[in-house]
Amino acid sequence: MSTSLASTGKVVWPRKVVWHVLVLGVLLVLLYPVIWLVSTSFKPATEVISTLALLPREPTGNNYAEVFDGVGEFGVLHYFWNSLMISAGAVVGNVVSCSLAAYAFGRLHFRGRGPMFGFMMITIMLPQHVVLIPQYVIFQQMDMVNTFWPLILPKFLATDAFFIFLMVQFIRTLPRELDEAATLDGCGPVGVFRHVILPLLRPALITTAIFTFIWTWNDFFSQLIYLNDPEKFTLPLALQLFIDQATQSAFGPMFAMSVLALLPIGLFFLAFQRFLVDGVATSGIKG
Amino acid sequence: MGRVSRRGAAGLLVGLMSLTAALSGCGAGDSADGPVTLRFVWWGNEDRAKVTRAAVDEFQKRNPDIKVETEYSGYDAYFQKLSTQVAGGAGPDLLQLDRATVGEYAGRNVLADLGEYAGKDLKIDKIPPNLLEGGKVDGKQYAVAGGATTQMLIFVPSHFEAAGVKVPTAPGEKWTWAQFAEAMGKVGAAGQVAGTTDFGWAIDWFEVWLHQHGKSLYTPEGKLGFTADELAEYWEMIGTMRAGKGVSPAEVTTKMDGSVQNSGIVTKQSASEIGYDSGVTGYFGAFGTDLKVAPLPSDAAESGMAAMPPVSFAVSQRSKNKEAAVKLLDFLVNDPEAGKLLGASRGVPPNEEIRAQVCATAEGGSKAVCDYEAAQKDKIGPAFGAWPTGSSAIKRDFQRTYDDVIFNRVSVADAAKRVIQDAEKSLGS
Amino acid sequence: MTQSVLAGTSGTSRPEVADSPPLATAPRGRKRRGQGVAYLFLSPWIIGATLLTIGPMAASLYLSFTDYDLFSPPNWIGVENYVTMFTGDERFWHAAWVTTKYVLISVPLKLGLALAVAMLLNRPRMGVGLYRSAFYAPSLLGASVSVALAWRALFSTDGTVDKVLASVGVDTGGWVDQPQYALLTLVALAAWQFGAPMVIFLAGLKQVPKELYEAAAIDGAGPARRFLSVTLPMLSPVILFNLVLETIHAFQAFTGAFVVSSGRGGPSDSTLLYPLYLYQRGFTDFRMGYASAMAWVLLAVVAILTALVFRSARRWVFYAGEDR
Repeated sequence: MSTSLASTGKVVWPRKVVWHVLVLGVLLVLLYPVIWLVSTSFKPATEVISTLALLPREPTGNNYAEVFDGVGEFGVLHYFWNSLMISAGAVVGNVVSCSLAAYAFGRLHFRGRGPMFGFMMITIMLPQHVVLIPQYVIFQQMDMVNTFWPLILPKFLATDAFFIFLMVQFIRTLPRELDEAATLDGCGPVGVFRHVILPLLRPALITTAIFTFIWTWNDFFSQLIYLNDPEKFTLPLALQLFIDQATQSAFGPMFAMSVLALLPIGLFFLAFQRFLVDGVATSGIKG
Repeated sequence: MGRVSRRGAAGLLVGLMSLTAALSGCGAGDSADGPVTLRFVWWGNEDRAKVTRAAVDEFQKRNPDIKVETEYSGYDAYFQKLSTQVAGGAGPDLLQLDRATVGEYAGRNVLADLGEYAGKDLKIDKIPPNLLEGGKVDGKQYAVAGGATTQMLIFVPSHFEAAGVKVPTAPGEKWTWAQFAEAMGKVGAAGQVAGTTDFGWAIDWFEVWLHQHGKSLYTPEGKLGFTADELAEYWEMIGTMRAGKGVSPAEVTTKMDGSVQNSGIVTKQSASEIGYDSGVTGYFGAFGTDLKVAPLPSDAAESGMAAMPPVSFAVSQRSKNKEAAVKLLDFLVNDPEAGKLLGASRGVPPNEEIRAQVCATAEGGSKAVCDYEAAQKDKIGPAFGAWPTGSSAIKRDFQRTYDDVIFNRVSVADAAKRVIQDAEKSLGS
Repeated sequence: MTQSVLAGTSGTSRPEVADSPPLATAPRGRKRRGQGVAYLFLSPWIIGATLLTIGPMAASLYLSFTDYDLFSPPNWIGVENYVTMFTGDERFWHAAWVTTKYVLISVPLKLGLALAVAMLLNRPRMGVGLYRSAFYAPSLLGASVSVALAWRALFSTDGTVDKVLASVGVDTGGWVDQPQYALLTLVALAAWQFGAPMVIFLAGLKQVPKELYEAAAIDGAGPARRFLSVTLPMLSPVILFNLVLETIHAFQAFTGAFVVSSGRGGPSDSTLLYPLYLYQRGFTDFRMGYASAMAWVLLAVVAILTALVFRSARRWVFYAGEDR
């Protein structure tokens, strides 16, 4: 496995080549459906559904032109903006609230920790469809339906137990000696959190941010339920306006817009994934 | 049994839910005077949305004291959201439903009885009675057709010409099931595609066959109107066509859901397909315009075909502004200006005067539908009523069981018996 | 349940007994202040759970004992839903079986792929960031109609997979459309979107101190040995996390099955995952009481499984931050 150690000189260079060829080969297989998707977005309307071929017979940019002509009453950028607002709000909410809760679960001792942790895990296990209506009633009581609040507020209240659990697991891999040293230096729990845990938690925070952004971006279901006004529609909601079972569907533009919708999250991932790498620096502290 | 005796947090919360459901209607404003806000929801594509919004704008212009908020989405999403809203006590005032859901919603007291408005705020004299029948449950008018459609066979003429088969398309022409089976067999034998998409999966086409035999899917009392033997006979008939590629193979058939993207014609697996003529524009868009429309076969004098609403409009029972909602409904189906704007976006218009006006200028897919409707006018038989509560589950179980038939997992006779058993359970609940 | 989850979380001290008096004696004063801080850190979560989670969960539990059609007030019927489910509903058992198969195949496959790719990418090479993003790309797609159509292009008769297999002499026909293979296409979809566990594995691999590998190399350990004695133990908390979460996730898999089968779970119910059946019962058949009962049965099963995994974790998970 870890070939990075084998830099002893003799056959280093072919090994790198082998690695690149291996990675590219696996990628080609895995990305085939993505390539198909992108290529389909350049097919004319009558080819989109009726052929399975990878390449369009008569490539066309019309699908993209149609998307930029506007979907619903608004331009495509309008929906991008709405999606961006919601996703950004969700990221801030999750990073803040989940790291606070995770520190408490992972490091502090308090009464009811076990049962509360157990309950938190249980909240991940209940299928969404059966709590949908009661939750809808609650947001309606708070007069929040048809606003972005039902999509953002829960993140600030740490309802995504997935991320709490993620961070708890990370915090527990951090050596306790660091906390103890900080405590000896006069830090209280808040100080330990700020000066020891948070900096070391960075890879997990970045992971949380990336996942929250992407999952919120793609979250069709909650957005469908809580947003009524087309002015507040997000990309996934605008996407389904292209399709209708009974009448004519615009599959070409739908593919074009799916591809466009991928770009921001793709770029987001590309931009932030290197901070995962920077996490390496933290391992120097151990030792 | 009806009394809920359990208390506690859960009971309270549910109590709260039903209370809010009961108290909070929808929209704002009083029903008496002053500005009124209506919520009007439908499913459909972008084109339908554009013309519907234009019609709504026109309505608001004429009724400055009524403000209309519109919401729309795709089919599955629409019903998911509608159920949640209605259950949460935030249902819309005017809503769009289809065949199966009119019965489901009316049977659960979600819809207002439009009978008291009929002839007054709601004019229905220009809408054919057989279309109105589709919105009736237990004799009460709960919904009004938003369009009209009829069963059809859509086909690719070149495949049939290549096989030397003539399809009856002219007014008055018809064919029998035997002729139909022979024709499909020839097409299947000649080309690479099946003669027609296997149509045994959809309870809708079985309903036509039943009507040709003087039966119906459901009795007026909401009971099952057919027997296992009848269903077995029907499925056996299709089974004999499958062997010679007259109908599509199981792998193609199992994908059918009435949607364009899974259609046998569009995916080039079959040369023809039974459907509703409101779908013609969809076929034209995804496949191309080289398609023609013919009537379904019948051995009886009855064609078994019926005029049906592809979509219906209904008013919510809990709406605080029923009168305004009815006014909008009336405008959508009866106003010439609205008719011009809406065109054939929900099938041909239900109002016959407006239909004539729209069809006079129709082109492309809409023209094909108008022509077909005109050619078949005399053959379109008596009405099919709305389906009862439980029919959504029955429709799904029918198709699920047919899957087992085509994949040879169960005999036709046993499958038919299972459909009856499942259906009785669904109707009983 | 809570006991064993607890055993997984708290390495060092036992929790205080729930009904111990809130008043503490002088020596515990410091600890009590610590507790106050803990609740402060937890306050967003506590508010969220109280406001948004507990009520709806209680409501769904209550509804599971009622006949509730979404639109009319619920009717108390006791355990009838549960009885019907276990004794009179073949599709319930069928859906449970389909889901079991799905979980058993898709979770190991997805985690294996994720770990393999993470290890492949866990080295300072040129372009590794780009590669990482490329491997994540399938997971960006989620499950939409476009993905469903792409899956059909891949797995239907005359689709890419069929053609590739035919060219090497294997003729299976289209997978999406055949009951014996259709579930595999959903497994493939789940495994294909391995980005999330891959990223978590990568982040975990970063935390493994290099010195351990160097020490192992000096001891003459080969790659396999280093993997078994350094990578796996150091990664075990992350493996536990991914295993638990992906298992829960697989039991709840809905969207993929919904879009690929147009909401039906066909052909011949072969892709009728439990949550899809639950959805059909609740929203197509208007039997939300029954659907709620199904949800609680699923919850119980998943909770027990999770508890078992946590219990076994005491034997195979190694925490650097815990006292050993």
